[in-house]
Amino acid sequence: MRRIPAVGTWAKGGLLALLDALVVFWCVLFAWDGRWAFLALTAGGALLLNALLLSRRAYPFRYLAPGLLFLGLMVVYPMGYTVYISFTNYATGNLLPKREAIRLLTEREIVPDPPRRFPFTGYGTPGSLYALYLRGEGEDYVLFPDGRLSAPQNHRLVFSDGVPESVDGYPQLLGRDLFPLVAQLQGRRIPYREGWLRLATLREFGFYLPQYRYDPAADTLVDQATGKVYTPREGRFVAPDGEALDPGWVETVGLANYVRFFRDPLYHGAFVRVFLWNVAWAVLSVAFSFALGLALALLLNDRGLRLRKVYRSLLIVPYALPAFISVLIWRAFFNQELGLFNQTLFSWFGVKVPWLQNVFWARFSLILTNVWLTYPYMMLVSLGALQSIPGELYEAAKVDGAGSWRRFTHVTFPLLMISVSPLLIGSFAFTFNNFTLIWLLTRGEPVVEIGSRAGATDILLSYAYKLAFEGARGNEWSMASALAVLIFLIVILVSGVSFARTRALEEVSRGL
Amino acid sequence: MASRRSLGWWARRLLRNFLAWVAIAFALFPALFVVGTSFNPTNNLSATRMIPDRPTLVHYRVLVRDYPFLTWLGNTVKVAGITSVVTVFLCALGAYAFSRFRFRGRRTSLLTLLLVQMFPQTLGMVAIFLLLNTLGKHLPWLGVNTHPGLILVYLGGAMGFNTWFMKGYFDTIPRSLEESALVDGATPFQAFVRVVLPLARPILAVVVVIQFITIYSEYLLASILLKGERMYTLSVGLRLFLGDNYRDRWGMFAAGAVLGALLILALFYALQSQIVSGLTGGAVKE
Repeated sequence: MRRIPAVGTWAKGGLLALLDALVVFWCVLFAWDGRWAFLALTAGGALLLNALLLSRRAYPFRYLAPGLLFLGLMVVYPMGYTVYISFTNYATGNLLPKREAIRLLTEREIVPDPPRRFPFTGYGTPGSLYALYLRGEGEDYVLFPDGRLSAPQNHRLVFSDGVPESVDGYPQLLGRDLFPLVAQLQGRRIPYREGWLRLATLREFGFYLPQYRYDPAADTLVDQATGKVYTPREGRFVAPDGEALDPGWVETVGLANYVRFFRDPLYHGAFVRVFLWNVAWAVLSVAFSFALGLALALLLNDRGLRLRKVYRSLLIVPYALPAFISVLIWRAFFNQELGLFNQTLFSWFGVKVPWLQNVFWARFSLILTNVWLTYPYMMLVSLGALQSIPGELYEAAKVDGAGSWRRFTHVTFPLLMISVSPLLIGSFAFTFNNFTLIWLLTRGEPVVEIGSRAGATDILLSYAYKLAFEGARGNEWSMASALAVLIFLIVILVSGVSFARTRALEEVSRGL
Repeated sequence: MASRRSLGWWARRLLRNFLAWVAIAFALFPALFVVGTSFNPTNNLSATRMIPDRPTLVHYRVLVRDYPFLTWLGNTVKVAGITSVVTVFLCALGAYAFSRFRFRGRRTSLLTLLLVQMFPQTLGMVAIFLLLNTLGKHLPWLGVNTHPGLILVYLGGAMGFNTWFMKGYFDTIPRSLEESALVDGATPFQAFVRVVLPLARPILAVVVVIQFITIYSEYLLASILLKGERMYTLSVGLRLFLGDNYRDRWGMFAAGAVLGALLILALFYALQSQIVSGLTGGAVKE
């Protein structure tokens, strides 16, 4: 049975038709302007929208499309783009396409020896420039505003005192009428002999020679003054003596960035050091905070404890506070001179600990802070798991004569780990990349190696952040991206292994 | 013998309560210190005391009057609020489709989503920054240093996990309720809005609040995308505000910390049991 379309369906169809008409209009405009990327984007988007709204098969995707759009734009696309950048040399100094870099380099100019200047006078009516007359010591020219140079004999000139009074019937312009008109010629290069003319001051043109000439056949740049030949190497033009020209350009470099993390002494030492600390940091943080959380869960899991609800609510305060605020507070506590810890230690024992200045103590401080931040989570998780362990198991163990410690190690802990271990692995993955904590507490400091970006407490992600956004050598986008890809591989590896492990644990639990 | 056992019982009970209070002291002292010092007239960290002799509100007043603190708080609430509300709606839509429709590509889409959400969005920071930089050249309101741009970034990051999370919940809602609506002539979308969404209200609230708290505390992406002082969110602003000025800004920072934490603390405790079950179910809050 066919139903008669309702008013709503007609309205929807009408709106879609209207939108499509608008899209066609925009596309024509974009085509007119030659903005092809916009054209493709708009047309593609419109086609997709039509398919979504008109096809029955695509019906479920009407629900999925908005979410997928954001996910694609802000997660999937950046993922792919990061991988792409990691295979290039994209960084400060190598930001342009090659032909742009060549254009900028071949526009560099030198003043010929001896220098040549062309004082000029202007002709036309106020507000409209007809031509300029350039006097070049016996080599005069008429220059039109569109950049055309012409010999004086082609024009009707009326001279007085060596300067024309009029050109082709147009009278000479006064300075105040001329300057605004001439200003429009600023930056314009008028080809002349083997170089160009360009406005040097508001009264004269100068003659300039290009410093470099590009030879497309050999793909080299030749210095016109010295004859030095620059050949392209690693995204820049480099002379045999090692002198490199800026700007360079973007090119793909294959695995070079990754290799540098394993070979280049500038990155290799830092990478290994940061990686080892990063693993240790995540393992120790999770282990200590789980130990504390579990201990507190066992403490609270006693039904005889009358205030356990209150205790629980108070103990999860660190978890309820925004982490960035807590970390800033802890950083203040650790301050060497003014902080609470050293003030207390000094007044009691007369010692001051270099909490954030010394490598060991900085790492200690980080782990302590993270334990404070995350033990409530571990406690909650453990409490939930403890309550799901059947009581008969304890009875059975008691009957078998197991003491309370043996009951914990042989019954509670193994059973607890089955439900908790996936969450511990999730927590490990999160801590592994916990940029906020590292950055707000230590900024990766203290410095351990002069010249290297990575400090003693930097994790891989904060090291990548420094390479990308905080560099003394500018933005090392490509190295940061390569590092991000390495981190991603580590995350995948850990997740993959843990997935396999947890499945194994589930099977164990089914066997019980 | 009975009395000896009861003595041991009492001792153990005392010990448990004592240990609990030690842990609570450890948990609470940073917060108590900050609350106390925010009322202390001095701005110097080393001179301040947890229990002020002459409590004053001067730090709150100066912070709000002389610094863009309220602007930062407003920015944060705006960005986090819009992100979390739009997130919950879009994720509910997607989760509903995954839960109720059987279509070609469903399994693949679900698995892809699972894989993609393992990729921490912060790893794409370089690409995101460059993307927004380019976007901003064509659409200035969506580029670097704009709130809509930041919201766009956060929305993308929130899709994967929350869609999965809500799909799991929708799977537990019996279909029979919608089916009767469908028999009555409702479209699937109407059934979704009128039947499923109201039933899913608890999970919607949890997702909104967890998302709000997460965005509220986000630092990395906000710090690379927001450049002007008046554009900062609270995490970026407060960090730069305090810097290492422990001698002359501590009191004001403490006041800011108290104000900045209040909202989140209230939200957390209001929805405590739901949030806890959501978080211990696999969501990781930061």
